[in-house]
Parts: sequence; structure tokens; C-alpha cells
Amino acid sequence: MTVLTEIEALIPDLRRYAYALLRDREAGDDLVQDCLERAVHSHRSRRAEGSLRAWLFRILINRHRDLMRRSLRPGHLVPVQDLIEEPARPAGQETHMALRETEAAIARLPEDQRRALLLVALEGASITEAAQALDIPRGTLLSRLARARATLRIMTGRAGAAGSVSHPADRSDNDRPDNDRPTTRAGDLQK
Amino acid sequence: MTYPPLTEDELIAYFEDALPPDARARIETRLATDPQAQATLVGWSQQNADIRALYGAPGDDLDNTPVPAHLSAALHTRPPARAHPLRAAVVIGLLALGGASGWIGKAGLYSTTFAPIDGQTLAQAAISAHDTYVVEVVHPVEVPATQRDHMDTWMSKRMGTRLSPPDLGSAGFVLMGGRILPSDSGPAGLYMYENADGQRITLYVSHQQGHDTAFRFAGEDATQSLLWSDRGLGYALTGAMPRERLREMAKTAYDQLL
Repeated sequence: MTVLTEIEALIPDLRRYAYALLRDREAGDDLVQDCLERAVHSHRSRRAEGSLRAWLFRILINRHRDLMRRSLRPGHLVPVQDLIEEPARPAGQETHMALRETEAAIARLPEDQRRALLLVALEGASITEAAQALDIPRGTLLSRLARARATLRIMTGRAGAAGSVSHPADRSDNDRPDNDRPTTRAGDLQK
Repeated sequence: MTYPPLTEDELIAYFEDALPPDARARIETRLATDPQAQATLVGWSQQNADIRALYGAPGDDLDNTPVPAHLSAALHTRPPARAHPLRAAVVIGLLALGGASGWIGKAGLYSTTFAPIDGQTLAQAAISAHDTYVVEVVHPVEVPATQRDHMDTWMSKRMGTRLSPPDLGSAGFVLMGGRILPSDSGPAGLYMYENADGQRITLYVSHQQGHDTAFRFAGEDATQSLLWSDRGLGYALTGAMPRERLREMAKTAYDQLL
């Protein structure tokens, strides 16, 4: 019973992450429920390495991959309005505008980068834990994060005049079967 | 003393706290004289602050809504009992063995009137069925593996041939259950399996004409399918995983027969 209690204590983390991924409270909770059912069903056969939290995130991410695969199938593109349109959030103040910009930019990141960034930035996962959850090597995770952060800075126009640090040319990121691509190129946003 | 500018690799490892103390200290020394790298770090910190403001970081009261009851309840319902491993007959290896009696009976045991389909159609139907049903939360299968006898009887009847799914437990995949789907060649069967990480694979079975074939691969995007046909039935093992893993699963199954 202790494992179930531990899992229960992690529900808020899962909900927060699922909501950030899907930006829809109901869809997020559906994803969490799906993840919890999987977890209850198979926690006895869980691989020993890694934390319980990393394993739960891994299940949730696997389910999210399946979900995205289906919804992206027709043409792979999501109308831009759908990405920008957000549930009502107090707007009008500059900080809120900046936040909405960031939110829209995060929504445009390739899925694999978004999953990685939200794990460390939102959930405070360590590199080791996030690498376990995403089932990728630490080095791959670090370069994925660097790309996500660089793209976000460009998309929100905060990269700075100096152009910040130089980027090693597009490193391949084909270790996962995801074929997600950003629906809008970073350059398009920087008029 | 001057140092070369910090690279992005060095900076991200420093920022995400992925360095041992001595390496960390060396970066800090160089940071002091690298204003561009400093600015990058400030930008990244701002991203973290923004993301936490948007979605509420752990410990924040910003998003302190209570956990809905149905989520906690998901933890306290008894998981369905698994199908007894011995009851599931053996697998794909029978293809390699060429017709060992196994988990699928002879097609044609019952007469069928459905037009058989080719490999291309089989792959498309299998991948489409896979993508449709692996995401299903409430009803991923029509008949759960807990009702194994009922499932085998019912699906065999609808397919017009004796049908019973293989045991992929040695590869970590447990049978969830099955369903019947419409296809160009009449009713088709779809079995779904899941591993401890929540990954799902499906086995699609439909009537198919032509000779028995060796394994072939088909796939679009991330979803890959391993196809073969045997005695009037076409099979497709489908999953979002590298082909090599699907192939290994077939080999593991083959070993069970020896």
C-alpha cells in the first residue's frame, strides 16, 4: 500500500505537468488518470532503476506521445490561432503579456523539447531524473534543453543583440521516434 | 588570465546543475569575465520563472486546486487480474517453424466469404487501428484479457477461424484484451498489449490471400509494423518503437518454442 500512497502524493506533480503539456485542464486530468491506471496495473513489474517519480513521468510521457501522434496525423499542422488562443487569464499588464508570449512560444517548441524543458523548469527534475523519465542519455537531454532555451529566447525576442552564445550546428536529435517539428520556425516570429 | 568564451554545452550543464563541483568551480571562474554567458544565464532563469508563473511550480499556492476524487480513486480500484501466462499459447515463432500448431488455428476451418487483402492494405489498416486504439483511455479493448475464454470464443466466431493471442510476457508486454474491427476483408481482430512503462503494442489479424510470407516491415512516422501472413491470415505487430525491438520481440517469442 505504501507505493500507492507514494504515487498519490505525486498526483499534483503529474497534473501540473500534464496541464502544461496540453494546456487543457480536462485533457490533462484524463492523461493523469490514464497514467495512474497504468501505474496501478504495473507498479509491481517496474524496472528497479530510477525514482518512482521518474517512472510515473515516463508513463505519462509515453501516453502523451501516443496522444500527440494521433492528433498530429492530419497534416501535422495546428492552426496558429489554436496555439495562441488561451483560456482566460488576466491580461493587460505587461508581465502578463510577456507570460503569454512565453506560453505561445513554448507551445511552438517541438514536443520532445517541450517535454524536456517542462520537466526540469516546471517540475524541478534533476538532469538524472529527467533523463530517466524521458528515457534518453543525459547528454542528449542537455543539448535538447539548450536548443529549447535558445529557441524560446529567439521566439520571445529576448535573445539579445549580441546573439548570445554560439550554437553548435543543429545536432541530430533522432534518438527518439518522435517526428515532431515546430509548426512555426523561430525565424518567422522575429520580424 | 583570459579564457575562451563559454560554449553552450558548458553553460547548459552548469545551469542545469549537471556538473561535478570542480568543473562547476572552473565554469564560475570563467563566467566572471564572460558577460555574454552571464546574459544567457539571466535569460534562462527568466524562462524558468515564466514557466513557473504560468503553470505553478511545486510548493506554489498559485495552482493549489484539490485533486479530483476520480484521480485518487484510480489508485484504489483493484487492478484486473492478468490472464494466466500458461493459458496463452505460443507466438510468432510458429511462422519460422512453418506451421507448428500454436495460437492460431487453421484459416478455412470455417468457410469465409470475405475478399482477402494485400500486404499494403494490411499495413495501413493495422497502423491506423493501432493509432486509433492505443490512445483510448476508457475502452482500449472491447473484451478485457480477464475474460479470456469469452474473448477467444467470440473473436474466433466473428473471424470465422480459431483465434487466440500469443503471450508476449517475456518481452514485458501483457495482454490487455482484444476487439473486432471492420476491414476490407471482413471482420479483423486487434489485440492490445502493454508494458510496465505504459507502452502499448497491437497485433492485428485479418484474412489475407496469397502465400505465407516472411516478416516484412512497414511504417510511417514513429509507428512501425512488422507484417507476415500465414495460412490465409495476415498479421501485423505494430508499435511506436524501433524495428529492431519489434523484431526482437518476434525472436523472443520464437525462443519460447524451442
